[in-house]
Amino acid sequence: MVTQAAPAMTMAPSEPEIDWDSLASRARLARRTRAVVLYAFLIAVSLPIILPYFWLVTIAFSARTGVAETAVLWRSMAVVVPVIVGFWLAAALARNRRQLWFGFAAVAAVAVVAFALLVGPDLHLGNFIFLWEPDFASVVRSRVGEVKGAVQFPNVWHAFGNSILIAGAQTAIVVTVASLAAYYLSRFQFPGRSSMLRSLLVLHAFPVLTLIVPMFLMLYWIGLLDTLFGVILVLVAFELPFAIFIMKGFFDAVPWDIEMSALTDGASRRQAFVSVVLPQVRNGILAVAVFTFIRGWEEYIFVFTFLIRNSNWTMSLYMYWVRDDVMGVDYGVVSAVGVFYLVPSLILYMAAQRYLMQMSVGGVKG
Amino acid sequence: MAKIEFRHVSKRFGAVEVIPDMDLVIEDGEFAALLGPSGCGKSTSLFMLAGIYLPSGGELLFDGHLVNEVEARDRNVGIVFQSYALYPHMSVRDNILFPLRFKKTPRDEALARVKAAADLVRVTELLDRRPSELSGGQQQRVALARALVKKPQLLLLDEPLSNLDASLRLSMRTEIKSLHEQLGVTTVLVTHDQIEATTMADRIICMRAGRIEQVGTPDDLYLRPSSLFVAGFIGSPPINLVAGKAEGGTFTADGTRFPVVGASGEITVGLRPEHLRFGEAGFAGRITQIEPMGREILYVVETGMGAVRVLEQGSFVGHTIGEQVKVAFRPENSLVFETKRQKLIVGAHVRTPA
Repeated sequence: MVTQAAPAMTMAPSEPEIDWDSLASRARLARRTRAVVLYAFLIAVSLPIILPYFWLVTIAFSARTGVAETAVLWRSMAVVVPVIVGFWLAAALARNRRQLWFGFAAVAAVAVVAFALLVGPDLHLGNFIFLWEPDFASVVRSRVGEVKGAVQFPNVWHAFGNSILIAGAQTAIVVTVASLAAYYLSRFQFPGRSSMLRSLLVLHAFPVLTLIVPMFLMLYWIGLLDTLFGVILVLVAFELPFAIFIMKGFFDAVPWDIEMSALTDGASRRQAFVSVVLPQVRNGILAVAVFTFIRGWEEYIFVFTFLIRNSNWTMSLYMYWVRDDVMGVDYGVVSAVGVFYLVPSLILYMAAQRYLMQMSVGGVKG
Repeated sequence: MAKIEFRHVSKRFGAVEVIPDMDLVIEDGEFAALLGPSGCGKSTSLFMLAGIYLPSGGELLFDGHLVNEVEARDRNVGIVFQSYALYPHMSVRDNILFPLRFKKTPRDEALARVKAAADLVRVTELLDRRPSELSGGQQQRVALARALVKKPQLLLLDEPLSNLDASLRLSMRTEIKSLHEQLGVTTVLVTHDQIEATTMADRIICMRAGRIEQVGTPDDLYLRPSSLFVAGFIGSPPINLVAGKAEGGTFTADGTRFPVVGASGEITVGLRPEHLRFGEAGFAGRITQIEPMGREILYVVETGMGAVRVLEQGSFVGHTIGEQVKVAFRPENSLVFETKRQKLIVGAHVRTPA
């Protein structure tokens, strides 16, 4: 061993001198290039996602009846795209946290000034006329001389209330039933348990639209057609399987020990469930609740099929009819309704973001 | 406080019979340990005591009253789980308070009892923290306080020390034992660690595959193990077991001959490492391994009967690997078992060969 190792040792000095500095700078350059390319790519692919929302908001606050004007859009883009690049540059060049915040603040300040100068004069709230004028369609049409044929719109707050009712009731039912069912599936052994679990997934795999005609007939015969309750039941039925499956994962992660401990501490099975087990799956319940609520909030096909009277319209139907009625005349109003429709789910997502992340982290285990 | 009785208790899970037939009495105020390897049914017995599992057959009595059907919450049993099972969403105070919530204890009295229980295990300054903010040892104390706050008639400890590090384990051992002396509550400890059992318990119930192998004091189990299993389970490093044949007063194992008294036929001789010593006479071997363990040294000696462990007191390594030695023992320290039935032959012993 020793004699073999000796020649290898003596070879090292005869090798050419290594230029560590040039190796380091080459690696530095490669790292920088990779970062630049990566960020450029990410900005490029995220633009088509961000821009439509940005435009939606800009149009909602700037478009005027009967005027097909796009200059303001381009001016606003001339502000937004450099701002995004500016933020990125600030993040890339900052050497510490303070410089980073300083850079962000500077870019934001420039952005605000530029926006106020270039886009500001065009902004107005007139497109949100539907919030205070139920017959806004006639008003908008009369501005361009068309007076007849406007759809009778219900008050937008009525549609808003309907949507809240559908999404809220659906969420309440789904969360309650899914929690109880998932707990039972997670904790108890009963005949047919595994096939039930399998069928939960299979049920979720079906495209629900295929059932739209039978559902229509069923609702008609039960007498729940054109009622909010009917739609709620249908939505609950379709949302439950997946919610149960998600909740089961959360219940599985709760150790048996604390439940047994609660039982020996004097709790009944129900008290142990409520006071010890449920608090452990709080994040799961919140995640399921948010997803179910947003699912109900954005529901379109079923409400379109099963609800007929305009007093039963939800926000999605309201949006549909606004588009149908005034799109050609005033796309600003359509965009404004879109923004109004978007805000609640945006708020909900932002408020619950922390819990939604948990779903992928702590949630699903067979 | 309660006297616990198992009368022909059995437990099945589906087709699996975990405990076939268990008879056991634990006296009022006793500290008993259920000791055995994992899967021997000791935890199952504990959960039957707690009321979490229903016995499949037989009778379970607390103070002479049949409790088979009594629900867990009505048994007034305190239990400390291996994982401590603290409620993560509650403060330490609420954790300890939890058992009193269901007893309709008046608020003032309940808080006073929480304070007393916390004082007892010295977690008073932790009452406002969450379990996740506590160390393992502190969680253990909180779990003890929660088990004790309801003044249980029976305290169950399920592997309470196995999640602690070595030094904490040592101090908790002493602490749990002194708590028991202070409160006098009937206590059942479940463990697979013989040291935990022998150091804390008044009486050890050694279990194997759902059956009780031996019940006795730590001394009984160490000095007079009733079976090969108990002899092998108790003691560290483990006992040396040599199987062979006894005929006409001579025990022969792989060519080595020992004088034997009181036994004949197929027997197994048990010699504890700490009872063996190197000497002028004895059976011959060669040291193949030396493990200094601080205040004692373990030698592995290769003999004609296989490897034999010898434990020498002191920290001085007086021998070298490869050294030829002779190993001797005192006859009264030898244990003789029937190989077939695995039972101790009382009164039989072997001598060091001349």
